[in-house]
Amino acid sequence: PNQLAGQFGQMGLGGGAPAPVGKTVLNPLVPVDLMHNPFNPASIDLPPPPIILPPNTSVTPSPHANCPPSYMRSTLNVVPTTHNLLKKSKLPFALVVQPYNSLHDSEAPVPLISDFVISRCRRCRSYINPYVSFLDHGHRWRCNMCGLTNDVPQAFDWNPATQETSDRWQRPELNHAVVEFIAPQEYMVRPPQPLVYLFLLDVSYAAVTSGLLATAARTILESLDRIPNADKRTRLGFIAVDSALHYFSIPRDSTEPSMLVVSDLDEPFLPIPGDLLVPLEERREGIESLLSKLQEMFQDTQNAGSCMGSALQSAHKLISAVGGKVVVLTASLPNLGAGKLEMREDKKLLGTNKENGLLQTGNSFYKSFAVECSKNQVSVDMFLFSSGYQDVASLANLPRYTGGQTYFYPGWSAARSEDAYKFAKEFSDHLSSEIALEAVMRVRATTGLRMSTFYGNFFNRSSDLCAFPAFPRDQGYVVEVAIDEAIARPVVYMQTAVLHTTCNGERRIRVMTMALPTTQNLADVYASADQVAITTYFSHKAVEKALSSGLEAARDSLHSKIVELLVTYKKELTASHVGAATPLQFPANLHGLVVLFLGLMKHIGLRKSVQIPSDLRSAALALLSTLPAQMLMQYIHPKFYSLHDMDDACGLPHPETGEIVMPPPLPLSSEYIQPHGLYLIDDSQTQFIYVGGHAVPQLIEDVFGLPGVEHLKVGKGSLPILENDFNTRVRAVVDKSKDMQSKGVGSIIVPNLYIVRSDGEPSLRLWAHTMLVEDKADQGVSLQQFLGALREKVNNS
Amino acid sequence: MELEQLKDQWAAAEDQDGVRLSWNVIPSSRLEASRLVVPPGVLYTPLKERAENTLVQYEPVTCKAPCRAVLNPHCQVDARAKLWICPFCLQRNQLPPHYKDIGPNAWPLELTLGYSTMEYKLARPAPAPPIFLFVVDTCQEDDSLQALRDSLIMSLSLIPQHALVGLVTYGTMTQVHELGYTECAKSYVFRGTKDYSAKQVQEMLGLLPSSLRPQAPMHPGQAPQQRMGPGSRFLLPVSQCEFQLTSALENLQKDPWPVANDKRPLRCTGVALSVAVGLLETSFQNAGGRIMLFSGGPATEGPGIVVGPELREAMRSHHDIDKDNIKYYKKAIKFYENLAKRTAHNGHIIDLFAGCLDQVGLLEMKSLANLTGGHMILTDSFTSSMFRQSFVKIFDKDADDNLLMGFNANFEVLTTKELKVTGLIGHATSLNKKSASVGETEIGVGNTCAWKICGVDPSTSVATYFEVAAQAGPQHQQAPQKALIQFLTYYQHSSGQFHLKVTTIARDLSGPTGDASIAHSFDQEAAAVLMARVAVFKAEVDDGPDVLRWVDRMLIRLCSRFADYRKDDATSFRLEKNFTLYPQFMFHLRRSQFLQVFNNSPDETAFYRHCLLREDTGNSLIMIQPTLDSYTFDEPAKPVLLDSTSIQPTTILLLDTFFHILIFHGETVAEWRKAGYQDQEGYENFKQLLEAPKEDARDLIADRFPLPRFIVCDAGGSQARFLLSKLNPSTTHTTGAWGAVPQNAQTIFTDDVSLQTFMEHLMKYATRWNISP
Ligand SMILES: [Zn+2]
Ligand SMILES: [Zn+2]
Repeated sequence: PNQLAGQFGQMGLGGGAPAPVGKTVLNPLVPVDLMHNPFNPASIDLPPPPIILPPNTSVTPSPHANCPPSYMRSTLNVVPTTHNLLKKSKLPFALVVQPYNSLHDSEAPVPLISDFVISRCRRCRSYINPYVSFLDHGHRWRCNMCGLTNDVPQAFDWNPATQETSDRWQRPELNHAVVEFIAPQEYMVRPPQPLVYLFLLDVSYAAVTSGLLATAARTILESLDRIPNADKRTRLGFIAVDSALHYFSIPRDSTEPSMLVVSDLDEPFLPIPGDLLVPLEERREGIESLLSKLQEMFQDTQNAGSCMGSALQSAHKLISAVGGKVVVLTASLPNLGAGKLEMREDKKLLGTNKENGLLQTGNSFYKSFAVECSKNQVSVDMFLFSSGYQDVASLANLPRYTGGQTYFYPGWSAARSEDAYKFAKEFSDHLSSEIALEAVMRVRATTGLRMSTFYGNFFNRSSDLCAFPAFPRDQGYVVEVAIDEAIARPVVYMQTAVLHTTCNGERRIRVMTMALPTTQNLADVYASADQVAITTYFSHKAVEKALSSGLEAARDSLHSKIVELLVTYKKELTASHVGAATPLQFPANLHGLVVLFLGLMKHIGLRKSVQIPSDLRSAALALLSTLPAQMLMQYIHPKFYSLHDMDDACGLPHPETGEIVMPPPLPLSSEYIQPHGLYLIDDSQTQFIYVGGHAVPQLIEDVFGLPGVEHLKVGKGSLPILENDFNTRVRAVVDKSKDMQSKGVGSIIVPNLYIVRSDGEPSLRLWAHTMLVEDKADQGVSLQQFLGALREKVNNS
Repeated sequence: MELEQLKDQWAAAEDQDGVRLSWNVIPSSRLEASRLVVPPGVLYTPLKERAENTLVQYEPVTCKAPCRAVLNPHCQVDARAKLWICPFCLQRNQLPPHYKDIGPNAWPLELTLGYSTMEYKLARPAPAPPIFLFVVDTCQEDDSLQALRDSLIMSLSLIPQHALVGLVTYGTMTQVHELGYTECAKSYVFRGTKDYSAKQVQEMLGLLPSSLRPQAPMHPGQAPQQRMGPGSRFLLPVSQCEFQLTSALENLQKDPWPVANDKRPLRCTGVALSVAVGLLETSFQNAGGRIMLFSGGPATEGPGIVVGPELREAMRSHHDIDKDNIKYYKKAIKFYENLAKRTAHNGHIIDLFAGCLDQVGLLEMKSLANLTGGHMILTDSFTSSMFRQSFVKIFDKDADDNLLMGFNANFEVLTTKELKVTGLIGHATSLNKKSASVGETEIGVGNTCAWKICGVDPSTSVATYFEVAAQAGPQHQQAPQKALIQFLTYYQHSSGQFHLKVTTIARDLSGPTGDASIAHSFDQEAAAVLMARVAVFKAEVDDGPDVLRWVDRMLIRLCSRFADYRKDDATSFRLEKNFTLYPQFMFHLRRSQFLQVFNNSPDETAFYRHCLLREDTGNSLIMIQPTLDSYTFDEPAKPVLLDSTSIQPTTILLLDTFFHILIFHGETVAEWRKAGYQDQEGYENFKQLLEAPKEDARDLIADRFPLPRFIVCDAGGSQARFLLSKLNPSTTHTTGAWGAVPQNAQTIFTDDVSLQTFMEHLMKYATRWNISP
């Protein structure tokens, strides 16, 4: 590993030598022999190849002038100047955009411009940024995107607070690549939307007996203070759903809610004109009273119906005038009313071509209705809890097109405290998240570049405008860029703007600007390609392919893409490319791509298998196409730590940074598992504590407080808190591993933790082993086999 | 027998059996019967309260099936052989074993003369306690809604504690309140615009066992839920849900949906009713119950709509109906009729209470009350005392504290072979039962011997009509032969048991052709009421003028058959004493609001007709020909002619039209009263004069249902029109010179013919009538 880190060091990571004047020296191409250099998993977390700009590209010397990769990263940190060069490279040109990297502003503050002075280019509508240039004694500025000269607004150098002239060079938008403007009146077509949460609560037999209703109600009740409501405009509503719709009226002068049942599902209607969607502040008592009674209200139910589709229509009717968030919490397959779904799953279909149908929508309602929601600023989140088939494939459409998310809790039961905790914590964090509302996102770029395709959960309203009724803080997006005209300039610019309403009723624009050097040289392109961004791009592409053409097609296209890249590299960038003995080479910065592609192909969402229920697949596909890049990498290529022999410093705070020191991640191969060892495997959604069957009693005693491995209960569980250093350190590592915020990602996920014994329950052990993507598995090849096959292909091409 | 004696006999029969007959002697030949003009008919009040209690707590002895006649004083009993012969089917029946000791010294009550009416309390308990389902219109002004709320809450203290109650409210939508739910106020909401089928209603209320329900694991020890059936979530004993219901009523708000200035509120009366009917239908079929609709205005949306929501669209009038150009009329009639039939089939009652200055669509909805034996009360507002007091009266109780109301009655008529029943007119529906007693012709609802009367109370009176059988009984047996009619009313008593009321009446058959006893047996009052019911029944389907012509024709035919005259000599025309008032009754019937509809709204017409079809002979006569009493100094009050000549300056008149009670002060009396003489010393007799009619009016009002409108007015005052419209216009402006009219008599400005003119015409036509077939 140290050797590898050294290689990166040579590549100029973290500064490097200053470039000679006149000519910018880009990242050098450092080839690596894939067959003989094991991949170091730690390199996935390294920053992308540095963006090297000519001196004085930015108008201020600010170190924050270029966009940090946590907000926006490009697959290519050096951009080919022509379409042909890009085509030749076979690499994708795309941006991975993640406008937020925390659930709360306080955790990742962004400079705020609150003086309503928003200077934008008259022609291309770009926002003023650190890469513009000033002319005419600073009275005018030239747009770095399209070159048009614009007037500098009068108030640009005026501080309204102090009533004095201010220093232009201190303005955040000239110093920071990521800024947020408070938008003036003209950015509003109507008053800023209040935060609206409309909960659709499953109250059928399944939901009540699994404890979902009670847990959900209690969590909402306990989270009332966490739901953003700084402007006191936040409104809540509740509809309980079984075979009928149960509305709750929470009138002004009464603390007693009343229930209005609508069983007519043909055309949803509202039973009363008001009091169904009420201000949290003003009707707090009524809301609390309702939430504390909900469980009792339905505790005797025998109802097994779910008219969730009709409920969604009603919800839409209720909030479409304002817009807002519909949160669906259900343990049932919607079997009644609009959008009624059927039990489609058939074990015999799994692993066959017909499996693909199961991943597609079972009822067109979910697509067409989603579009309707998007139009009216209604976003839908799905929290799914079924113990049986729930048709996640269909239900996931609503979040997909409305800027929501699908959260899947298969086999969830409140009786298991781990389940109850996981959901309650995630749901509460979800509610506390400072989401944005009625948002649109547009990406602008230097003339000649065009945003061609968009991936992620939103609705593509017009060619380059993505609409988000609600903008979540835990998702990433991918935008593919086309090079329409040859670029004559040394640097190109990309600017992502998200116009939105904060959950506190403020209209704002978050602007992120990125500058990238250009080249006519294919080697430069390869040398600065970002394997994480590329994998993220192909993850989205693979999901799209899986949904449109099937899993096999998705895997095949991944496979041919990696072959294509290796062939291109060999043919175009390797000096000697003859003979079978030629090593399989790739640039060091793309060293991980092969493993990541293998991980993707072997991922639960895509791998060939006859055993993966389609709901699990669909939920996985939803994550593969929404997770922020850092998290996505872990989801594709889990973290694997050896705990029993970790350094003494591991699991303790680093003396300088205070961060918990982690052991080095291991390649995902069972070679590293020793029969007496203790390991953590973590794919960000699930954590496995893997215990070797010969683990010594002392280890078990220290970590689990049990006399020996044979006493260790496998399955969903947690680590006990014990009074010993090792236990503390192990727990610290496990906790740190799931701490997404420290990785620069907002996420509500609390991974399930499973205790696995190498000699324990086989299905659980097998599951844990599927994480070890370098291993040969049931229907998948080992990394060595994969590489061997790739080399053969490359050499024969 | 003298007329007075006969009248006493008839009155006694009415007291004992609750019957009045048009003819108290039955013609023994069909030919003779055909010449009666007024058909033999019985106005019967099944649950008439009697001075003497004839309730017994044992099962009746009945004839073999299919006859099922009940043992009665007119049966031939062989005490020794323990046999009885059924007079209706002539079968011999064994007396039950426990009757073995009967004999001349120990006749059971039902065989005792004077016990021709018996009430049996049967061993069969009612399937459920009485049910009261309130259906409340919330599109009302706050004061009216508040008053209604108060009345309903108050009624909970009148309804027996074990009775089941439920609440449906409606406006733009319909809400069914789940009173059995205690976690919070809960109601099921139905769209106001949709015509829900019975099955949909039941599904939506969760009243049907759902196929979606999992085979729920029955937790050991857990009592099965909803022991009383799913309907018990909505209908609960007062004792259990009084709190829930009271708070639901107290929280009743005006319909929350906004109403534009140029619009009527959206009111889905049809859906509300259909949901209410559906609710009772599933869980309580054939268990006695009443759906009580409190309507504050017309249905303006959904099925049963009677007028559109646009205010510029006016409520339909009789003229519109005549012209047949009302958008919603026929559909609405059909909708409510179907609903009424369903309700009647289920054995339930629908009461209609209207509290609105304008019409609410009683016309369209009338079948709901008419086919189910429900009440109809038409008031300006629920704040009115007429509503409040009438509503309270519905919950009157008997000496045993049982509600004076019976439910879900099967009413059957048995006849001996001389008679066949041709039909019934009253608030009942046919049960389509064929028997030997069913006649060939049809008057009212016929072709059956049994009817369902879902709501029956002590004043409910039904008119039954008969024909004489084609082959009358053997003429030559020993006279006097009697024809028998047995009325069987099997109903759910509010005490919770089923009762069977049996009335058996026997009337002489006439002797050989030309028997004068037939004419003598004519009860002109009963006949007038029976004919009025036929006229109203016809008016519901036929054109007004046709009905009037029919009334005239029948009157002329009757007179020409039974009067004494020389052909074509009107001056020779004489009527027997027991016929003399009949033409007057018909005269007033012709002019009454029952047949002359144009001075009333269609809703009023529906209301008046409804009342006529449920009252007994006495009350019906008041409706047909109001009573007028005159009060003056130093004389006892005396009845006077319902004639404009009765208006005198120094008299006070007390008019009773059944629906109105009016005190009218003659010109002078009015002046004195205004001058305040009654409060001055020395004018005590004037004060007494003013008080006397008031006291009498109070007495009249006390027993009346619905509460009549009480009016006090003076000569020349605008309210006096209520009196003038009822008076015979003997002194209209066109006939001023006619007869010896007192100088100071009031002149009535009307083009109606006067009684005198009417009689002249009658005499002329009757003496001309060719009576031979
Ligand atoms: Zn520009
Ligand atoms: Zn018999």
